[in-house]
Amino acid sequence: MSGFDFVTPQMTPKEIIKKVRELNGVIFTSTGMRDAGQSDFKNRLRLYDLLTLTRYYRHMGLFSAECHGGARWHVGVMNRKESPFEEIETLRKKMPNVLLQTLVRETNLWGYRPYPKNIIEYAVQKVDIDIWRCFSFLNDIRNMKTLAEVVMKRGRLFEPAISFTQAEWTTNNYYLKLVKEIVDLCAGTNEIILCIKDMAGVGSPKRIYSLIDAIKQKYPDLVIQYHRHATDGLALPAILSAAKAGVKILDAQEDSLTRFYGQAPYLALQAYLEESDIPVHFNRDAGEKAAEKVRSWIGDYKWAESPFKGFDHTVINHRMPGGAFPSSFEQAEKGGFLQHMPAILKVMSLYNKIIKYFDVTPGSQITWVTCSGIVNSYAKEMGNTGVQHIITLLTKLVIEKKLKFEAMDKQEQEELLTLFNNAPGDFKNLIMGHYGRLPMSWPDDWVYQSAFKDEWKIKIKKRKEISPLESIPADNINKLKNKLMGIINREPTEAEFILYLMHPNDAVNMIEFREKYGETPLVLPTSVWRNGLKNPGDKVEFEHWGMPYCIELLSIGEESDGIIHVVMRINNKTRVFAVETPRAKKIETRMARKSNEIGSPIDGTVWRIGNPSRGTLHEGDIIHKGEEICNLEAMKMENAVTAAFNGKIKEICINLNDTVKENQLLFVIEKEN
Amino acid sequence: MKKIKKVLIANRGVPAFRVIHTCRDNKIETTAVYSTPDRLATHVFLADNAIHIGEAPPIESYLNKERIINAAFKSKSDAIHPGWGFLAENHEFAQMVIDAGLTWIGPAPETIRLMGDKIQAKNIAVKAGVPVIPGINGIKHENEILDWMKKEKVKYPIILKASKGGGGKGMVKVNSSKELSGAISQAASEAKKAFGDDELLAEKYIEYGRHIEVQIVADKFENYIHLFERECTLQRRNQKIIEEAPSPSISKDLRKEICEKALDLMRAIKYESAGTVEFLFDPSEKKFYFLEVNTRLQVEHGITELITGLDIVRIMLDVAQGKKIGITQPEVIPNRWALEARINAEDPKTFNPSFGRISRLQIIQAHSVRISQGVYEGAEVPPYYDSLIMLVMTSGPTRQDAIAAMDRTLSRNLRIEGIKTLTPLLLSLIRHKSFQAGDFSTRFIEQHIDELVSGFDEISVDDELLKISQYVAEISALGPQEWM
Repeated sequence: MSGFDFVTPQMTPKEIIKKVRELNGVIFTSTGMRDAGQSDFKNRLRLYDLLTLTRYYRHMGLFSAECHGGARWHVGVMNRKESPFEEIETLRKKMPNVLLQTLVRETNLWGYRPYPKNIIEYAVQKVDIDIWRCFSFLNDIRNMKTLAEVVMKRGRLFEPAISFTQAEWTTNNYYLKLVKEIVDLCAGTNEIILCIKDMAGVGSPKRIYSLIDAIKQKYPDLVIQYHRHATDGLALPAILSAAKAGVKILDAQEDSLTRFYGQAPYLALQAYLEESDIPVHFNRDAGEKAAEKVRSWIGDYKWAESPFKGFDHTVINHRMPGGAFPSSFEQAEKGGFLQHMPAILKVMSLYNKIIKYFDVTPGSQITWVTCSGIVNSYAKEMGNTGVQHIITLLTKLVIEKKLKFEAMDKQEQEELLTLFNNAPGDFKNLIMGHYGRLPMSWPDDWVYQSAFKDEWKIKIKKRKEISPLESIPADNINKLKNKLMGIINREPTEAEFILYLMHPNDAVNMIEFREKYGETPLVLPTSVWRNGLKNPGDKVEFEHWGMPYCIELLSIGEESDGIIHVVMRINNKTRVFAVETPRAKKIETRMARKSNEIGSPIDGTVWRIGNPSRGTLHEGDIIHKGEEICNLEAMKMENAVTAAFNGKIKEICINLNDTVKENQLLFVIEKEN
Repeated sequence: MKKIKKVLIANRGVPAFRVIHTCRDNKIETTAVYSTPDRLATHVFLADNAIHIGEAPPIESYLNKERIINAAFKSKSDAIHPGWGFLAENHEFAQMVIDAGLTWIGPAPETIRLMGDKIQAKNIAVKAGVPVIPGINGIKHENEILDWMKKEKVKYPIILKASKGGGGKGMVKVNSSKELSGAISQAASEAKKAFGDDELLAEKYIEYGRHIEVQIVADKFENYIHLFERECTLQRRNQKIIEEAPSPSISKDLRKEICEKALDLMRAIKYESAGTVEFLFDPSEKKFYFLEVNTRLQVEHGITELITGLDIVRIMLDVAQGKKIGITQPEVIPNRWALEARINAEDPKTFNPSFGRISRLQIIQAHSVRISQGVYEGAEVPPYYDSLIMLVMTSGPTRQDAIAAMDRTLSRNLRIEGIKTLTPLLLSLIRHKSFQAGDFSTRFIEQHIDELVSGFDEISVDDELLKISQYVAEISALGPQEWM
């Protein structure tokens, strides 16, 4: 407990909402543990470092700490090798008086595809989060239904978000209609918070004031939170006008974490609001200390910062969300097309007028892959001329011809009909309604023609008008669990299973990583996690499971035959580790994999090929089911290998007296038909 | 009999370790022998000198009688101790040693021959008034077994054994007539390989039997002394893995009776040196049956030493030098409980052998612990020999105390890396309710294997540290990784 406690996890949603309504002024949600890192550091900020902030968060007087969900979830599994489950468990222990907040993508939860209702119910039940902010990249409120039900039934706070962008079609009336749907879904305004999700940071101060004012006039009791990225450089004035219009909760982050694409710096924001006579419930002392603490480790993440630096007011056109900036640039860098970024952003700003939805996960990924794909294919064929050409063509369609396909020349029409030929599957799913209804209307017919060619008419007929919650058949949870069990060879924990449901491959990789390296991701400081120990005498000290540990580097050997020997002192005991480099020569032992291949049941030596009554067997010999075909000896015990079926020996893969490993290939058999 | 000045130990690993130490206590020099893969093995460096006797296959080295006797001459050894296994129960070898003018530390060749022949041994037991299990000898064909089963109304399961064997090798259990012919050829082949003779015997298999044996020492002056019994019921694949003394399953009266019967038998064959009479105890009928005499030092002799305070190897040396056993039966007073666990290099779930380099070996010995170590950190466990790498014995005033000491020694105090060992299974066993209650049979492990495996400790602090260290080593050598 602290003198600045405002709400606690023990309170009911009703009590929390009542407290906020009575608050004179505003309060912050800190995004320091999630969106700040996602927007400017590719989600690489490790729990190890974030935990240094919990002692300050306990006293900061926050409304909540956003620490879960969004892409942090996936990047945790994939890159940091941290489980979002152990993150909230640890944070809960370290700051029990702070409300923990997640961000979910309605039916897509923490993944990238819509999940069936039973998976949503299953997963949401098992995550210990207080505030569930839920957005839809289509603003399809129907898709929030299951989540809203489970969260509210559990007595946790549901925070539906409306995705905001500034476009001619996103009018106050459009949003008021959405808010009505939300209020209807949640049976009033007493147990929810409405979030205005300005994920790209494009809301101008005037536009934001107007929108919030309109909502407040219609729903004066509705508690509103403003989530705003700083990309356009106008975050502070926009937030001030939101507060003036009646927003109670504001997303902000440590000033020292602030770069370009995250949220507003909380110390500056507090000062700016208070100067405008808006009281802020915030323990500035704790806030300053947390911001100061960040400086002690943020230097370890220089490598994770976006290569595209500085505010970008053109975001109002291309609308790339703050949270997607670093990863998009990272992909462009890796894919070697960083030079085309301005063109891609330009194509995006035209594309989002042709197919209208909100650029936020998974929509932002669809936009990104589709548009970068188009630019890259033109670049490959015709270089910069091609890139310029497609921008000119799209500009003509969107601006000059006001989206009228028929108004384009015959030749231009034909070219447009190839535009989405190679669009990603998710783009096709999107326009087929698999994610839900598009916010304004389905795209024009030519888009379907371009995507589906001859089949376009059938596809339009098959387009889904209902929510994926209705259309996706239930998954067999036990079957999925058994599948995972088959992969990892043991019963998965609930947490592991949910990771697997969201990101099957990455979850399995992470489970394997943790089996091999234990809790390494939780105990190593970031510099060692990323770079290891560099010079002899360098050491890392840590405590784990209540014991002190010290790993000291003595020497790193030269590479020889793909192996580097590393000598370290582990708690004073000298140990040598053989590290395989990517050039390590893998001595391939052939393993039995197919049904006609017979593997060794044990590690042992082959002392007889054949059996006493028949003598030695040779390739081409016929063998009979149950017949002993070779015998292995290990520590003086004999182990007969018998034929599992009738057949002919195609290949004998061992020699007498060979030492074999378990499951090493012994025979290839041609099965008798 | 002449005084022994230097002993050649015709063995390796734990038995060599054991014998060399008593020799050193008695200021007797020692010679180790080794095969090519054992060139840098533990026992080599414990002895005063070491002689290479051949290549890896036992038949070329540790079973190569001529080479071993030549090595004795070469090293100026005047006696040979065979340890256990290999040539320990080979009467021809014992005779060759004596014929070469060397001292054989063990029972007379004739005794070994007699008791090595299971059929004769059984006949002698019957004559000496010791009860035996129904069985048939000298089998060459399947039909002989079938006739015998019919005649004596014996039902499956039965067990096949090498007539010359012992120690679990060449032993095959047969559950039905379908398995019989395959089992015969397997048992015969193993028998041939392990003991050089493929003759078999068949016996009724007592399902929930317990394995109890009596340790005897005897000298040339007709002093026959028993050192009480050991219980060796817990076995996997017919090989013991946990032994204890005294037996928790017999009463005082039964103890007296079983020890007396063992002495009767040993007297009848005029036994000399240390030996063991093995019995199968049927707890439902409270009856014991003679199984065999082990004419050698046994793996588990150490727990008898712990409860009696005697040194059995020392007694063997004394007897071999023609001395009297310096103790009488009433002076043998067991005063504690002792437990032995065999650390075998095996997968604890499948019992598949595990060989390779021991990258780390650490054992912390606190009070009431005795360790016989056949390997050292950095040593290679070769695939050619027995999987026993270490014996851990503990003792205490009560069974419970001995178990507690074993638990602490096998859990956090023992650390073996690089190969798999039975340790998790041993721990799981001694922590099992039934074991603690003294309620188990020779089939306990096969019947409870899933339950025992589920009791394995999944992760230890040391495992965890090693995983973290492995990561630090990799990143230090390779730098930041793509996946980060």
